Amino acid sequence: MTVRPFAADAELAGDGRAVTTSVWTRFWRRNGAGYAFLTPWLIGFFGLTVGPALISLYLSFTDFNLLQAPTWTGSANFVRIFTADPKFLQSIRVTFLFVAFSVPLKLAFALAIAVLLNRGLRGLSLYRAVFYLPSLLGASVAIAVLWRELFSGDGLINKLLATIGIEGPSWISNPRYALWTLVLLSVWQFGSPMIIFLAGLRQIPRDVYEAAAIDGAGRTRQFWSITLPLLTPVIFFNAVIQTIDAFKSFTPAFIISSGTGNPINSTLFYTLYLYQEAFGFFRMGYASALAWILLVIIAVFTGLSFLSSRFWVHYDD
Amino acid sequence: MSIPRRQFLLGTAAIAAAGAAGLRPAFADDISLRQIFWGSKARADRTYSVNDLFAKANPSTKVQGEFLAWNDYWPKLATQTAGGDAPDIIQMDYRYIVEYAKRGAIAPLDEFVGKSLKLDDFDKDQLEGGKVGGKLYGISLGANSVALIINTAAFKEAGLEVPGPNFTYDDVLKAGEAFKKANIRGGIKAFQDGSGVEPALENWLRQRGKALYTADGKLGFDAADLTEWFKLWKSLRDAGAIVTPDNQALDTGPLESTMVSLGKAAVTFANSNQLVAFQAIIKDPVTISNFPRVAAGSKGGHYRKPSMFWSVAGGSKLKEDATKYLSFFVGDPGAAKVLGVERGIPCSAAVRAAIAPSLDAQSQVALQFVSNLGDLLGPIPPPPPANAGEVATALLTKSQEVAFGQQSPEDAGPAFVQQAGEILTRKS
Repeated sequence: MTVRPFAADAELAGDGRAVTTSVWTRFWRRNGAGYAFLTPWLIGFFGLTVGPALISLYLSFTDFNLLQAPTWTGSANFVRIFTADPKFLQSIRVTFLFVAFSVPLKLAFALAIAVLLNRGLRGLSLYRAVFYLPSLLGASVAIAVLWRELFSGDGLINKLLATIGIEGPSWISNPRYALWTLVLLSVWQFGSPMIIFLAGLRQIPRDVYEAAAIDGAGRTRQFWSITLPLLTPVIFFNAVIQTIDAFKSFTPAFIISSGTGNPINSTLFYTLYLYQEAFGFFRMGYASALAWILLVIIAVFTGLSFLSSRFWVHYDD
Repeated sequence: MSIPRRQFLLGTAAIAAAGAAGLRPAFADDISLRQIFWGSKARADRTYSVNDLFAKANPSTKVQGEFLAWNDYWPKLATQTAGGDAPDIIQMDYRYIVEYAKRGAIAPLDEFVGKSLKLDDFDKDQLEGGKVGGKLYGISLGANSVALIINTAAFKEAGLEVPGPNFTYDDVLKAGEAFKKANIRGGIKAFQDGSGVEPALENWLRQRGKALYTADGKLGFDAADLTEWFKLWKSLRDAGAIVTPDNQALDTGPLESTMVSLGKAAVTFANSNQLVAFQAIIKDPVTISNFPRVAAGSKGGHYRKPSMFWSVAGGSKLKEDATKYLSFFVGDPGAAKVLGVERGIPCSAAVRAAIAPSLDAQSQVALQFVSNLGDLLGPIPPPPPANAGEVATALLTKSQEVAFGQQSPEDAGPAFVQQAGEILTRKS
């Protein structure tokens, strides 16, 4: 069988009526096949993402508790969140601290490793795979459990510290340190920004460096004056993605504290608090309101990043 | 060599059809009951054995069980219920049975009693415990009481008597000091830090004539009580008699993370029926005893309560079959032998008599403990109000604030009472 992709168009051209066909029909004839192939994704997008999201927007104005039909309560949920919910404030504090520290540290670490790997090492692909490994295990339950073991009172970290005479606390269950062990866990999973940095570094033309070397610029100078400016689009991309991810971080805190956010709510991430309200106390309406607030927070931060990018991101063209 | 396409297609289709038929021997009247419960692996093993016994006695019915940890159980059950996909047979807790019954998520079982559900010699008080608004919504799976789980080997090594019925909070301090002096097992402490354990607080309050909650769902104690409670634990903490705050914070709920399971303390606050599950994960011999007395001779802290129930989903299409299973579970001697006292002391006198000879030493201990509480036993409190779960969570957090030195007991008492009041008066 021969394929005649433009058969429909050809018929149209020969037929006087074709002139009167609506824009819609023409659109459909031209793109119908494409959308037909997209249907599985479209069904998923509207059925599993847009639909539930809209329903949760409705639920955020109700007192839905999973077992009974929701009743409309207007802005009550939002009023309580902003005026009478200390746990909301605590979860915001924890989440912002986490984002503010984990994202820059992770990006700096990823960039440093990428620069090291970009020096034409032999066996690069092996190193790349090894450094990427933690990210593959990333948000898994197993790693969170491992972290718990490493950073508990008689865990491996304290055993190492003991050899140099330091008696460490139980890091993971001490309110002063618990959040920082989670920041460390996040930084350790620097694999995916590293791969993207590596690709970005490869894009920088060699001759720029050669010209700089001839002008007498050293390695450090080259990094600050060539690598970093030319890499800003990639840094920007990574920063946006990682910030969004950090705001949504859930699994590590959930596993390490068994969903409690303890000690003293020091690991009560926003998403964890949302989960507690939804599935611990069955306040699905309240949790939906929390979810929409998080969406707005993330949108604002992403928007600000894009606005600021004009001043520090340099595109080639 | 070539195979004509049509023949090939026909052939594979036939093989596929044969395979599908072979996989599902079609009995038209096959009944499949779904079951969900929380618990440890020890509980799951016993439950699945009973399911096998039931399948042998009722070849046309299968029970497919699923178990989760307590923390994961309630979200899953609530989600399934909301989705109209709740399992037929549901393990239910005293804390939630009223909520689920009121909302029709579990079914009243009165119409089946005496027919598919045989409860002839069931203990009256245990039957009452499963009623909401006069209707039977839950079949008690055993009576239990709060109890200390005690590592007896650790006590022996420390040169101490194992805590008995007359053990007081003063003795906690003494035991703690003795453990400190003995310095065994890398500095194991006598007790866990119980300041954030709601049942421990309740027991202590009851001995002092107060309660956790009043019948109309308000707090049954005041700020001064709670300050004193936090001070009691602070003095034990300062004396090094109990585990450090950052060790205690490792206990995030599951049995495996309690201080006695982790080997950080020789005693932990728990329930009598959990002796079996604790013994399954602790190498040393463990036993149970009552919670410490406030003073010598103070009484009434404990009460006997249904440990948990079987309920049937409100939307189940197999209610009668489900009740048949419940009947078997609580009444069949073979099933009872498998179950032992892991969920609590069986509620039928005949069953208790049937299993008594075959019980291992530990189960005997649990049976004796719950049956012989004596002057420790007080009346059963009213079911906790809505949002009580959130108050328990808040107590744990507040206890950590005191333990880590962020708040003094004097400030923490009033702060918590105010916080709990707000939680309880909130509508949703």
